Amino acid sequence: MSTPRHNQGLSRRSFIARAVAAGVAVPTLPALLSACGASDTTSGSASKIPAPNNPVRWPISKKNPPIKSGQQIQAGTTLRIYNYADYLSPKLIKEFEAAHNVTITLSTFNDEDEALTKIASGDLSFDLYFPSYDSLGKMVQADLLRPLNHDYINNIDNLWPQFKNPWYDEGWEYSVPYTVYTTGIAWRTDMVSEDIAQRQNPYDVFWDPKYASNLAVIDDWHTMMGMVLLRNGIDDINTTKASDISLMRKQMMQMLQVTHPKVTITMYNDLPAGQYGLCQMWSGDVVNAVYYLPKGQSPDVLRYWFPSDGKGMVDNDLMVVLAQGKNPVAAHYFINYMLDSKTAARNFGYIGYQPPQRSINPNEIVADGFVPKNLATATVLPRYFVEGSRLLQLPPQADNEYHQIWQEFKAGG
Amino acid sequence: MTVLDTRPKAAVSRDGRETTRRRRRPSVLLVVTLLYLLWSLLPVLIAVLFSFNAGKSRTVWQGFSTRWYYGDPLRSVWHDPSLHTAVVHTFRLGLLTTLITIPLGVAMALGLDRWRGRIPAGANVAVLLSFVLPEILLAVALLFVATTLHTPLHLGLWGQVLGLVTYQLSYPVVIVRSRLLTIGKHYEEAAIDLGASAWGAIRRVLLPMLVPAIFASTVLVFADVIDDFVIVRYLSGDASTEPVSVKIYNSARAAPTPALNAVASILLVGSLLVVVLGFLAYRFFTRGERADARGLDVFTGEV
Amino acid sequence: MADRRHGRLTRSNGRAPRLIWPALALPGTVWLVVLFLAPMYVVVAILFGTVDPILRQPVPIWNPVDWDLGQFRYVLDHIIGPDGFFGPALVRTAVYVLVASALCLLIAYPVAYYTARGAGRHRGLLLALLIAPFWISYMMRMLAWINLLQNDGLVNRALSFGGVFDIHVNWLSGHASTVVLGLVYGYVPYMILPLFAGLDRIPAATLEAARDLGANRFETFRRVTWPLSRPAVVVSLLLTCLPMLGDYFTNDLLSAAPQTSMVGNLINNSVLTPGQTGQAGAFVLLVLLISVVPMILYVRSNRLGDEVRS
Repeated sequence: MSTPRHNQGLSRRSFIARAVAAGVAVPTLPALLSACGASDTTSGSASKIPAPNNPVRWPISKKNPPIKSGQQIQAGTTLRIYNYADYLSPKLIKEFEAAHNVTITLSTFNDEDEALTKIASGDLSFDLYFPSYDSLGKMVQADLLRPLNHDYINNIDNLWPQFKNPWYDEGWEYSVPYTVYTTGIAWRTDMVSEDIAQRQNPYDVFWDPKYASNLAVIDDWHTMMGMVLLRNGIDDINTTKASDISLMRKQMMQMLQVTHPKVTITMYNDLPAGQYGLCQMWSGDVVNAVYYLPKGQSPDVLRYWFPSDGKGMVDNDLMVVLAQGKNPVAAHYFINYMLDSKTAARNFGYIGYQPPQRSINPNEIVADGFVPKNLATATVLPRYFVEGSRLLQLPPQADNEYHQIWQEFKAGG
Repeated sequence: MTVLDTRPKAAVSRDGRETTRRRRRPSVLLVVTLLYLLWSLLPVLIAVLFSFNAGKSRTVWQGFSTRWYYGDPLRSVWHDPSLHTAVVHTFRLGLLTTLITIPLGVAMALGLDRWRGRIPAGANVAVLLSFVLPEILLAVALLFVATTLHTPLHLGLWGQVLGLVTYQLSYPVVIVRSRLLTIGKHYEEAAIDLGASAWGAIRRVLLPMLVPAIFASTVLVFADVIDDFVIVRYLSGDASTEPVSVKIYNSARAAPTPALNAVASILLVGSLLVVVLGFLAYRFFTRGERADARGLDVFTGEV
Repeated sequence: MADRRHGRLTRSNGRAPRLIWPALALPGTVWLVVLFLAPMYVVVAILFGTVDPILRQPVPIWNPVDWDLGQFRYVLDHIIGPDGFFGPALVRTAVYVLVASALCLLIAYPVAYYTARGAGRHRGLLLALLIAPFWISYMMRMLAWINLLQNDGLVNRALSFGGVFDIHVNWLSGHASTVVLGLVYGYVPYMILPLFAGLDRIPAATLEAARDLGANRFETFRRVTWPLSRPAVVVSLLLTCLPMLGDYFTNDLLSAAPQTSMVGNLINNSVLTPGQTGQAGAFVLLVLLISVVPMILYVRSNRLGDEVRS
């Protein structure tokens, strides 16, 4: 970590001042990091941002070595899982508890920013965390993760082959994939009369005054902003070009004025409840929404659009072992359990999110009853991962700009 | 904050006369009041009612059942660990916070009442500030302390307790001090004249007279803590430290079942019980006093 | 804890009895300094601090000499001016809080007045019912409204008279009126009780004197009751306005649309967002300033009141 000299002087001074003034309050790891002179924000770390054309193999952590092979779960211990709400089948949890005589505590977060802040505080000692791949790099660099010991995870062979050596984590040293999903548009035919998929540019519906106050977008900055870029034919949804960013900003403010969107991540409940007729949606959530429809309501009313050429947002979530956890062995067992074909299929049935399992044939997902016929478009195909756009970690400067626009959007313009 | 004994001695006769006069008017005020009561209480009663719904809906009545309290093997309050932990944690927070806040606050009220100088003046300002400032300010400040500094204040149970005590401390101080104001210094001075030590005077004379105020602040603090949301949410750690209010907030935005209404109803019954018991005990402690001085004022938090 | 201290003091009985008062007040005072005032300084140090480069978590700067004004300036620049996107949210907060408080007063005053003056022998019962919502969890009361305001909820069904009219209002999708009424519903109990206490304290003799001197009911109210209840009105307005200023959950639960964001939402949105934590600090200070000014006014008026009373 090289540093411009003037920075070093300043941070050292403030470091001393801090040490003196604080007394009781010793700065944490991040504080120390920057005081040691890592205010290098543009160069250096940029090369560490993984992308499909820039695969990254992360160094094995020295501070948090992988666990030794051949250990058993200690009976009576606790496995602490940190995940989104409704994103893991409670039945599977109970069965794992019974099989290994452990207690699982499941804590939930609303968005990854909140999760990262709480993990970074170091107070909570979670064992297992479910991030999306774009935050993996940050977590490795901040030394928050424990490298995986592959001996415990032989079910990795059940996965689509591309996930045995993903570009964001070559050699899957820190992560295994949990689910795959696309981000598209969902609507109810009883509340929206047109067939949105037939539009020249379906994304335009979010700017159509016809649907004012009748729609919602996803409360996740990059997912929502990526959609705005895609609407304009900008396939690079991680663009750092000033003109792209300002166009995106303009259109987001326009959307606020024209259609008053709700900004939330609870579409899987709100859409079936009829709170709005149309929303940006993750494929897994629209599948899940079927189970939240009120009694007597036919699932036929739900529709989902994702570009059939695959040129949309396609992502996968991960399972990682946190270094702060006290039970890494159980975490490894749990990961392997979730990669088991049968477990994964049952979990799919509960959460609606498809696991990248070879045993689940994307062409037979509808026939197998995982997804109703009218939502066949919510199936995730392996080829999407070649054709689609991926959300990447942004360089700090751009990350800051995106976040500021998001903040402006959320402030209501 | 206000003084209890400024009320007129003629209160009783006034009440009698006022009512007879009022009867003759068309009472718009009565209608407004009844409408208000309806509006304020009916939604809550409906929410309680739906906790007994046999179906999964919170808007369509599908018959009476206790399924969301006990019957449902996965999602009832009894069987869903996340729900009953929330109830237990809520009461645990209430108990711990009250146990620390009340002695600390009562001692502080006694001290600030007699101690003169710059430090107590500053402490007074701090008490008032913590009394009126929006809770989110303290919550954010403590969250920063917990997440960016290495101090004994951690996210989780004890972080929440420390935060809640800080926020609640002003209640006993304000309530006990206003009571001290009505008591005056005579009793304690008399006790010292009769040979009691300062501490003895406090313990044997002042404290017994303060019992009602201490009791009222205990009930107030407890009830307020189990209702707290802002501080406990920011300082919560994992799922085991999320009380009912946070649970309601999280699930109300996701996919709630009537079990959520059930857990809220349990809390409602719990806090009403505490308040009713508290009020009865308060009447018991103040039974010797004039009727109009033992009104409900002390329970309004305004005193 | 207190007992130990006093045990020691009693032994030096007589010589230093005055030490007892500082000793009693100190634990609480120290507590507030460590857990109330010092954390406020942490907010300032984070506002004027930097962020770490990897996780973008805040790094406080303790020494004012080294303060980095970047985040503070960023917030200021975006409150007014062409890029002032925080401005509308702040104005909205002010409007919501003022309208909601005014509505609260409009509801609370007659109710408190009736309870204090006209309820007669049902006064106790009435008071108990009025206090009830005060003890019912705020979240529970919001949950109740969420249930009622759902698309197939009772409100829409009542409005459509059981399906006679076709009414489908999406109450929970970003209506300013829903948020303001939610605030009113949430905070009215906090206003009724101090108002009741204030109105109840006005001596009946004063009112009777006014009537005996020929004032009609309206005149009596305008020239006697209202002026005498004004301090209670001020207190009750403070007790509702200030918590409303920091409210973000009512909005989150009843709207979740950016159109109704208030300053509390600005704080809540940025407080856990990497790289924006300092901005939350700026808004915290802003709300602090806005809250402290009316409080100082209140304390001063209170002090005056105390002097008049004694």
